[in-house]
Order: sequence, then C-alpha cells, then structure tokens
Amino acid sequence: MSLSRKIAVIGAGMTRFHHKVHADKQSREMFTEASIEAAGSVDNGFDLKDADALYLGYFSSDNFEKQAHTSALMADWIGVNPIPTARVEAACASSGVAMNMGIMSIASGLYDVVIVGGVEKMRTLGTGDVTNTLAMAADASYEVAMGFTFPGLYAAMTAAHFHKYGSKWEQLADIAIKNHENGKLNPKAQYQETIMDIALKLGARKGLTFSDEMDFLRSDLNAMVAEPLRLFDCCPISDGAATVILASEEVAKKYTDTPVWVAGIGQASDTMALHDRDDITSLKATRIASRQAYDMAGINAGDINFACVHDCFTSAEMMATEDLGFFKPGEGGKAASEGRTALGGDKPINTDGGLKAKGHPVGATGVAMVVEAFKQLRGEAGAHQLGDPSYGLAHNVGAAGATVSVQVYGR
Amino acid sequence: MSEYLVSKFWEGVNNEELKGCECENCGKLMLPARIICPSCGSRDLTDKGYKGTGIVKTKTVIHVPLPRFQDMSPHGVGIIDLDEGVSISGLLVGDPEIGQRVKAVYLEDGEKKLLAFKPA
Repeated sequence: MSLSRKIAVIGAGMTRFHHKVHADKQSREMFTEASIEAAGSVDNGFDLKDADALYLGYFSSDNFEKQAHTSALMADWIGVNPIPTARVEAACASSGVAMNMGIMSIASGLYDVVIVGGVEKMRTLGTGDVTNTLAMAADASYEVAMGFTFPGLYAAMTAAHFHKYGSKWEQLADIAIKNHENGKLNPKAQYQETIMDIALKLGARKGLTFSDEMDFLRSDLNAMVAEPLRLFDCCPISDGAATVILASEEVAKKYTDTPVWVAGIGQASDTMALHDRDDITSLKATRIASRQAYDMAGINAGDINFACVHDCFTSAEMMATEDLGFFKPGEGGKAASEGRTALGGDKPINTDGGLKAKGHPVGATGVAMVVEAFKQLRGEAGAHQLGDPSYGLAHNVGAAGATVSVQVYGR
Repeated sequence: MSEYLVSKFWEGVNNEELKGCECENCGKLMLPARIICPSCGSRDLTDKGYKGTGIVKTKTVIHVPLPRFQDMSPHGVGIIDLDEGVSISGLLVGDPEIGQRVKAVYLEDGEKKLLAFKPA
C-alpha cells in the first residue's frame, strides 16, 4: 500500500490538557483555541478558511456534553462553513482514525488542505459516570455486563503479561516515573511535576514522608484500581483539544519550507471482547497497523527515533513498545527500567509525558500525538526536545485494542 | 438457526445455562452465539450449550467498580478458557489464581442472574 500523493503536516496546536483549567469551557471553545494555535504555527500564515474539509475525533460528546453533531459544531465555531465535516468515533483512537481519514482524503485527490482535530470534554461528569462512559468502549453486553471496567480489562492483560513473561509492577512504576519526568518539561501537560514532587506534596498534607518515588508508589496513597494496576498506573481524566493542518505536497510548499511529512499510515481492528483473542499479552491490531505504516514508509521499527504510544495505562506502554517492534515480547518493561525509553535513551517513548502525565482527553489524544511529532521533527519541542530525530511514530488505541491507528512522520 | 440474540444469552444465564453455537462448516465454537462465523464466514451455525468448566486464563480484582457492581466491591473478574475450547468473561468468586480450574456459578442479582466462576 502507498499514498498516491505526498502529504505534509504544516501546522499543529493544542490546548493544555487539564482536569481543572478548562472548567468553564465547552469543547467548542477548547477546539477553537487549539485551531487558532495550529493556524498560527504555519510558517507563512494560514487562514482556517483555506481548509477544504474537517475531520474531528470526539469519543463521547453525547454523554459528556449532551451534544451530538460535533464536527459541524466545530466547523461553525472556527468559521469554516460550508466545508464538509465528519466526526469519527473510535473510542480512545477517535482522532488517530480521524488523522488517517484526513490523510486519505488528500491522498484521494479530492482535497488539498484538511483540518484534523480532536477534543474531549470529560469533567462534566463525576468519576462514576466517567467510568461508565469509558466502559462503553468495551463490549457492553459481554464484558461490562460481566463486571469488567475499562481499567479492569487492561489489568487482566497486565496480569496475563506478568504470568507469561515474569514482567513486574515495579517496571510499570518506572514507566509512570519516566512519563511524569517528561511531563514536567511540557507546558501543555496536565501534570508538570515528577512523581517525587507529588509524593512530597501529598506527603506534607498527610504528615507522611517518602524516601523515594517507589516508596510513595507502594504506599496506600497510590490506591489500587484493578489489580495489579494502581492509581499512578492509570492516565487521568482530562479536558482538552488538539488540531493539525494537513496539505498536499504542492500546496504545502506555499505555507512552509519545513513541513513534516506523513511517511506511512496503518490501521487495524480486532475482536471487541478481549476473551475472543488467543493472545491477550499483546495487541494484534498494533502489530498489524505498525507493519503497514513501516512498509509504506519503507523503514522498520529500528528506524523510529521516538514514539508517542498509547499509554492509557503504564502496562499499555509496556505492551505497545513490544508490539511496535521496539523490544522483544516480554522485554518492554525491562527496557523501561533500564532507561532505554527515557529522553536520553536509545528509544525515547512519550517524550511529551504521554497520556499518563500529559493527560488523556480521549478524543484529542491521537492528534495531540501528532502535535508532539510535528514539534520534535521541527526542533520546536522546547525543554523535552530530542537531538535531531528523523522519524517519529504516533500510536493510538481504541479501548482494549479493537481499533489501532499508527502513523509514521518524517522530515 | 442459532439463538444468537444478546437477550437469549442472558436468558440462558438466568436459567443457569451457557448458550452459544457451533459452525457447521468449519467447526468453530462460539460463546455467546453469533450470526456469522468469524473464522469462515458461514451462517450455518447451530446451538451449542457449554458446561461452564475450565481454567482461569487471566484475572483481576477490581477496586473501583462500575456503579452496578458497587455492592460486591472489591470483586474478582477474569477470562475463563472453557474445556470445550472457547473463552468467556465472568465474575470470580473464591479468588482463583491464573491456571486454576473453575466452574460456573450463577449469582442472584435482583431479577437477573450474574455469571461467575469459582474454584472447582
């Protein structure tokens, strides 16, 4: 498979992801803020009205905001009527899939300039209702009705991985520690503090002291969610939006001399229910989608310099780094503990803090990964900038892997 | 024709039965029942009941439950590889470990029963 035209990312922007700062805003205001930033990032200037179409990832506007038809709403609010719009719903992979659809729409020859956005307004609901809403991404009739929560499904995969490979919770804790270290360097992250910063703050409040991060993470303050996953193994509930602007090669030249190219894309599905899969220590859809993207780009996993992987749980990052081919099956946790996935490692993962520290407004995540790839590949990532990367990867997972999208970006 | 409706599966659970189907063309077993065989595409599927015995493939204990399961929290839930060769999710009682033999039990939960597995 190949794309029939070269396609560039010419601009990218996002709101801060956060659980509080957007309290007064709806999705429309956050999406507009991200889109204005994306337009402003285009080197030679960009009028949002220059776009030919808009694709939006938004998982559950219906539940969170009692609002449907959100792609038309966003187009109206950023002033781009009458261009065509479509909302994509693929659980947590909503905007990763919207990216692929935007890319394909340009590859088709139909459009030259496309806006792809993602947004989620989650903090309208309490934790119980958010848990219910996220569980809708699993099989409501045959998994949720059996007592599985969404974290429960990942916990079940994690337990199977521990059992098969001997991977350990301490390795997951190292992933959380690393992602918070990266988040501290990202002004758009929800948590711009290390886990030690949080341990000192919470400890002072409770009259407790902790010798190091692990001491804190083993304490009761890191409550069990679904064994073996604790609170700091889980991404937070977040509000936020992200927008990128895509253009065909001919048109991109008008807007910038430093485009970021879409080198390859992939996408795959898998059974909705985890219990219908033979191997639950790996996401088959990640393996398939990433190989499609590598083949299209003419590279292999070893050529990827950094990756934004879908760490809705720390164990999801561990499994993703194996499924994407960065490490052998069963060795993702070990690689993280050895520092190989840190900013200074040989395969930096979630340089922006990942879902764990940057936050996970579900529908915005797939595009926010592209924002990070765009900045890294242009040398604009600030305090968490890597040295001169050539290829970056975005890996977005819907629920427990029934949808996976991957894109490889290059300079 | 197989009884593939979601409601039929749960009706079965209320009657303490595990109702699925089998593909007449390729022999694939399914639980719950389906309309199309995901392996070969055949629609020639016939009803098949499952005994409800097997081993725990994976498990977790959920401490932050869905509101519906609040009363039994923390509760075990897992995936069971049934002896016939299909797998299903279910609640776990009696804290079985991965690899342990279990059998289906049906828990009273108001008007509807819940599917659970306990050490055999």
